[in-house]
Amino acid sequence: MKNALKIFKKEIKEVLKNRAIWLPILAVSIMFSVIFPGIITFTLDSFTKDPDTASFVARIFLNTGNLQVAMMQFIIKQFMIFLLLIPAMLPSLIAPASIVLEKESNTLEPLIATPIKTSELLLGKTLTSMIPSFTITLINFVMITIVIDVLGYMKFKMLLLPTIEWFVVTFLLSPILSFIITMISIIISSKSTDIRSAQGLGAAVIFPIYAIIGAQIGGLFLLNVRYLLLGCLVLALVCPLVLRLAIRVFDRENILTKWKMK
Amino acid sequence: MIQVENLSKKFGNILAVDNVSFEIKDGSIFGFLGPNGAGKTTTIRMLSTLIKPTSGNVIIDGRELSKNGEYIRSILGILTETPGMYEKISAIENLKFFSGFYGLQEKKRKQNIEKYLKLFDLWDRRDDLVSIYSKGMKQKLAIARTLIHEPKILYLDEPTAALDPESAFMVRNFIENQKNEKTTVFLCTHNLEEASNLSDVVCIIKNRIIKISTLDDLQRSKKGKKIEIVFNQPAVRYAGILRDFTEIIDLEVKEDKINFSMENPEKINPVIIKKLVDSGAEIVYFNEIKASLEEIYLDLIRS
Repeated sequence: MKNALKIFKKEIKEVLKNRAIWLPILAVSIMFSVIFPGIITFTLDSFTKDPDTASFVARIFLNTGNLQVAMMQFIIKQFMIFLLLIPAMLPSLIAPASIVLEKESNTLEPLIATPIKTSELLLGKTLTSMIPSFTITLINFVMITIVIDVLGYMKFKMLLLPTIEWFVVTFLLSPILSFIITMISIIISSKSTDIRSAQGLGAAVIFPIYAIIGAQIGGLFLLNVRYLLLGCLVLALVCPLVLRLAIRVFDRENILTKWKMK
Repeated sequence: MIQVENLSKKFGNILAVDNVSFEIKDGSIFGFLGPNGAGKTTTIRMLSTLIKPTSGNVIIDGRELSKNGEYIRSILGILTETPGMYEKISAIENLKFFSGFYGLQEKKRKQNIEKYLKLFDLWDRRDDLVSIYSKGMKQKLAIARTLIHEPKILYLDEPTAALDPESAFMVRNFIENQKNEKTTVFLCTHNLEEASNLSDVVCIIKNRIIKISTLDDLQRSKKGKKIEIVFNQPAVRYAGILRDFTEIIDLEVKEDKINFSMENPEKINPVIIKKLVDSGAEIVYFNEIKASLEEIYLDLIRS
């Protein structure tokens, strides 16, 4: 564990210095946690004036009795999925970069030639992706809650967040998703020889999140606690499979003989 | 001691290392030579537990390689052929990071970092990012990294590559001094002069071991010995006399010198000298020139 933390401490400093990683994340966070919720809450009336939207929302949120509150609850469900973008995006940016950079700079071999265990090295790299991802997800969760509750209370005299679904997304689904994306990114980056192709391939991994966002906005389904918990269960079952594959790929001999290095 | 028995490594259908066996005594310098693709790096990687042998046994410091990977890596210092450093952090941070995996006491770690940075004239530049270091400075830093935990065994792959003559001299001296420290050195180099000056034993490999011996024994075993005769007159006058000897091969005439090779010169030399003197030759020197490691190496590799 100590060695894994050493890897994490060194790499997190490099991540924090790398604007190409944290600037897009910062931009996405501010947009989806502050700007969009703020704008939507202020302009809620324009949504409720559309009769089709109004009847659709009213059918789903039958018990609210207030169309604007129902509309707000519908919009909150959309933002809940956007919250999953961070735990998906950040590992797909960090994990491939950290491994491909080691390959490019020929530091992998001297590193695995030390007494560090391969599992410690893999854990260190995983923590470098997961801890910032979870931290930023948590910050976004708090920011959205504050923005929506402050503006929402001014309008409706009630607090709309947090809900059970948001807790499930923030504390269960996002760490599981972040772990899976990290493992997949490590597997992808083992085959890549440069950062651009590694990050490009890593970005493709988050397409399913976009698909879920699109499906929910399009009205194909609406995520609730049951679906979210089911999703957590399915992804939790996937975790050991991707972990096993990542460990097999992240093997000293594989790294030296099969990973293409400069 | 390092004991290697019947070590082989196959990558798919390619036999990179074929049934290699040798022993390296504690505190000795073992020169490991071979052309590109001969299996040198593969052998080092197997001995460093970085890749698994296909077959064979290795015992290092009394412990079996296959079961004691972590321990063996803790007593090794490995300088790879292209040793990379983390360029976005400083030299001293690089050394702190890598040395952190060896369980050294903090005080000892700091002392060693200072010691080796000063030894390689990098102390004043310790806080500079490695990205601004020259190639030679990076190589010296990599060597410092290899030594920081005072390993019992050093695997050095081309240690003086990219170094200026002064730094290369310093590193060679340092390697030689390792004998006094009882550190075992496994030296891979294409610099045959370096190998011949430093190594106690030389091993020539081309996927399998071609020859393993001390330099003296290699020179003695070389077929045909080289003789040089220095005259007080133009040597060309006496070339004809020497050509009459069928035992003489590779005759070369240069101004006042004649070089040639032959087997068993001890038997023929007295006859040659007498014949030359009888024909009026004034012989200044009559020397045996020991075969260089380069000649021996090229003979062995080509055969």
